[in-house]
Amino acid sequence: MKAVLGVSLRQWRRVLQWVGLFGLCLALAVGCGASQESATPPDGATTPVGGRVSVGTTLKARTLDPADAYEIFPGILLYNMGDRLYTYAPGTTDLVPQLATALPIVSEDGLTYTIPLRDGVTFHDGTPFTAASMAFSIQRFMENGGRPSFLLAEKIASVAATGDRELTITLNSPFSAFPALLSFWGVTPVPVESYEIAAGSFKPESFVGTGPYKLASFSTDSIKLDVNPDYWGDAPSNEGIDIQLFSSPANLFNSFQTGNLDVAYQTLDPEQIASLERDAGQEGWSVIEAGTTVVNYLSLNMKMEPLDNPAVRGAIAAMVDRNLIRDRVFQGQADPLYSMIPKSFDVYQPVFQEAYGDGNFEQAKELLASAGFNESNPFELELWYPSASTIRSIVANTLKESIENGLPGIVTVNVQNVEAASLFENMEKGIYPAVLQNWYPDFFDVDNFVQPFMSCDQGSPETLCESGATFSDGTFYYSERANELIQQQRAELDPEVRNGMLEELQQLMIQDVPSIPLWQNKDYVFAQSGIEGVEIQPTQQFLFWQIAK
Amino acid sequence: MSSRSSALRYYILSRLLLAPLMIWTITTLVFLLLRATPGDPVDALLGERAPDSAKAALRERLGLDAPIWLQYLNYLGNLLRFDLGTSLATQGQSVVQIIGDHFPATLELTLLSMGVSVVVGVLVGVMAASRPNTPLDAGGRLFGIITYAVPMYWFGMLLQLLFAVQLRWFPIGSRFPLQMDPPAGPTGLYLLDSLLQGRFDAFAQSLYHLVLPSLTLGILLSGVFERIVRINLKKTLRSDYVEAARARGIPEVRIVFAHALKNALIPVITVLGLMIASLLGGAILTEVTFNWPGLANRLYEAIENRDYPVVQGIMVFFGVIVAMASILIDILNAWVDPRIRY
Repeated sequence: MKAVLGVSLRQWRRVLQWVGLFGLCLALAVGCGASQESATPPDGATTPVGGRVSVGTTLKARTLDPADAYEIFPGILLYNMGDRLYTYAPGTTDLVPQLATALPIVSEDGLTYTIPLRDGVTFHDGTPFTAASMAFSIQRFMENGGRPSFLLAEKIASVAATGDRELTITLNSPFSAFPALLSFWGVTPVPVESYEIAAGSFKPESFVGTGPYKLASFSTDSIKLDVNPDYWGDAPSNEGIDIQLFSSPANLFNSFQTGNLDVAYQTLDPEQIASLERDAGQEGWSVIEAGTTVVNYLSLNMKMEPLDNPAVRGAIAAMVDRNLIRDRVFQGQADPLYSMIPKSFDVYQPVFQEAYGDGNFEQAKELLASAGFNESNPFELELWYPSASTIRSIVANTLKESIENGLPGIVTVNVQNVEAASLFENMEKGIYPAVLQNWYPDFFDVDNFVQPFMSCDQGSPETLCESGATFSDGTFYYSERANELIQQQRAELDPEVRNGMLEELQQLMIQDVPSIPLWQNKDYVFAQSGIEGVEIQPTQQFLFWQIAK
Repeated sequence: MSSRSSALRYYILSRLLLAPLMIWTITTLVFLLLRATPGDPVDALLGERAPDSAKAALRERLGLDAPIWLQYLNYLGNLLRFDLGTSLATQGQSVVQIIGDHFPATLELTLLSMGVSVVVGVLVGVMAASRPNTPLDAGGRLFGIITYAVPMYWFGMLLQLLFAVQLRWFPIGSRFPLQMDPPAGPTGLYLLDSLLQGRFDAFAQSLYHLVLPSLTLGILLSGVFERIVRINLKKTLRSDYVEAARARGIPEVRIVFAHALKNALIPVITVLGLMIASLLGGAILTEVTFNWPGLANRLYEAIENRDYPVVQGIMVFFGVIVAMASILIDILNAWVDPRIRY
């Protein structure tokens, strides 16, 4: 009898039979063994404490220092553990006083903001909140040199406590969105006794603020927040928050499915979201969906041929099919975006839809023909994306497929990727023609959606942008009118006049096409049955104090 | 005898003297490789859209504006003072503190995984070797091949899906239940600390949370032991002294476990040393797959953030462990096996 590895074929058959049987049992166990109860803990283990809510996320909490926290999740934690001078009324985009008692009194030149402050507020360590502590916190935010320090350091000339309950801030130049900027999570008061003003001096693992929760413990895998019993405002609807930090969406997805978490918040893959949505009815999960202000767009390098031709850029704007991206890539979990200003703002106008449509290959063909591109001289679009982004990889390839099918022989799309660090490092060098990018705003104001894409500090129509926002963005867009309008809308206090300027900026965007808006992300939160009050705010904040168990 | 012990002493001394050279090589390689990889830590910290002035100020504050050779000398100088620096990402946590906070979780996982891999590997190896050319033998070989070939993250996800999501037998995603206070003891090893505190519920929970990650890592590394035990035991079972034992009527089980296995286990000691590196490497994937809050997971995060001091510190720490383990195993081998020349 023949033998393989010294074992006869008959014996190998028996081994394979056993392996096959084991595989079958495994498949049956996976397929049929689903139990709807969570893993039974060993004897002696405690069950979840009533009223404490467990939240899972893959977002990272790099630091809790308000002067250095620039990412979404530390921002959410600080939003829940601290207060700001101004905040947004829950469920709205209305700016309302929080530690201030009224909106600021602005001087006629738009440079001086006088802010009356609330009395009877104490920090988590029992020390009183005063105008001096607020001035100290803003000063520290600017001087310690943390990630977001430039947000205020570039705008504020001085900050001073002009009374026990009055703060006066003087700006370098008028900035109408300043109250909105004061609602940024990092502009939260901290006690003078616990923090210091010194470059690079941060406290990443602790936080003392005035908010409804205080920090109970902080580690890289879990964070616990206890209710602040001395909070000046309304008490939270729960007894505390236990946050589990996950290293991958799969971990978060599996943990939520097994019932180990009350709430799963960011970031799950589209398939996982679809799966949880599908099973929500049967399992009793709540699905909370909200639009975000995260803008995804295609930046075009205006210094590079043939993208220096507005007709070619217009043709690309006409070629892209946002609905296809929404359906095929996101399974409906994203919204097509037709302006660099997201839909959350009233001033949003679907200018790209009106000017170019979606997958409008006829218009694209005409524009390309006017630029000299046709079957005998096809246009090659080189499309780049950061290699770690699976989503953008699928988007790039979907666009390639769609464009090459819509304009056969006229356009070829060459999809390329590079590691994100190299991509962003080389963006200013102008070596990438078109890049799929995204933009997470710093604060909730329209200025944050026009200035980064349209303003240039130094340049000319001939050289294009040589320094400033569009230089960093890799489009090198330079428009004197855009610069003028950006400065004017920043100084304008009349909302209607300001809106007029923002509308003109959107028109300039479709005329010059330095960037093409593609889609706006949607946020999803999943809550187990019995969990109430889970909401994502229009400003993207996640208010823990609303959650009840 | 005395010449053997002085030779052994000389051997130990020479191995110990080589250790600093080995660690210096690791340190230098890590330092240079990190700087050769694309990406600027300042960009990673501030974001690519931050103003140039802010980037320049941060670069200066972190000493990243200095020439590479000066950064290297500063780094070596600090290293000699056991100062591994401060995390660039958190700007406040010392690397020593990060290692101290996270290493116990890795150590607990690797020790238990090592135990699993030795037990599983030796048992499967003995079963396969004691029934040569039978389905058991073939099964043992197949087991060895599969454990070599299966990717760690895939196997980890499979165990999670089966035992946590579907059957709900074991928990996933954490080292300890979120709703309980973890044992706060001197070692950071939850199993040990909970016993020291007399918290048996915490001990049970710690063990319960360790099951799936340690099984994943342990089973996949057990193929190495299985192969060595199977091959060596087969060879030993064909040796004259085993034949003599059989001729005397000693039961086969006793021959295998009391006589043959002892000799077949000697190479396992060597492999144990080599396995330390594999375990630490495997721990990175296991920790990420199971959301285990260990040092390997922290290293992965630091690489993503281009957090030079943390990556360097953890790599040097791992390097020292591997170097020390390899020296220890060499010494142990030389001591137990007189055939080894030194």
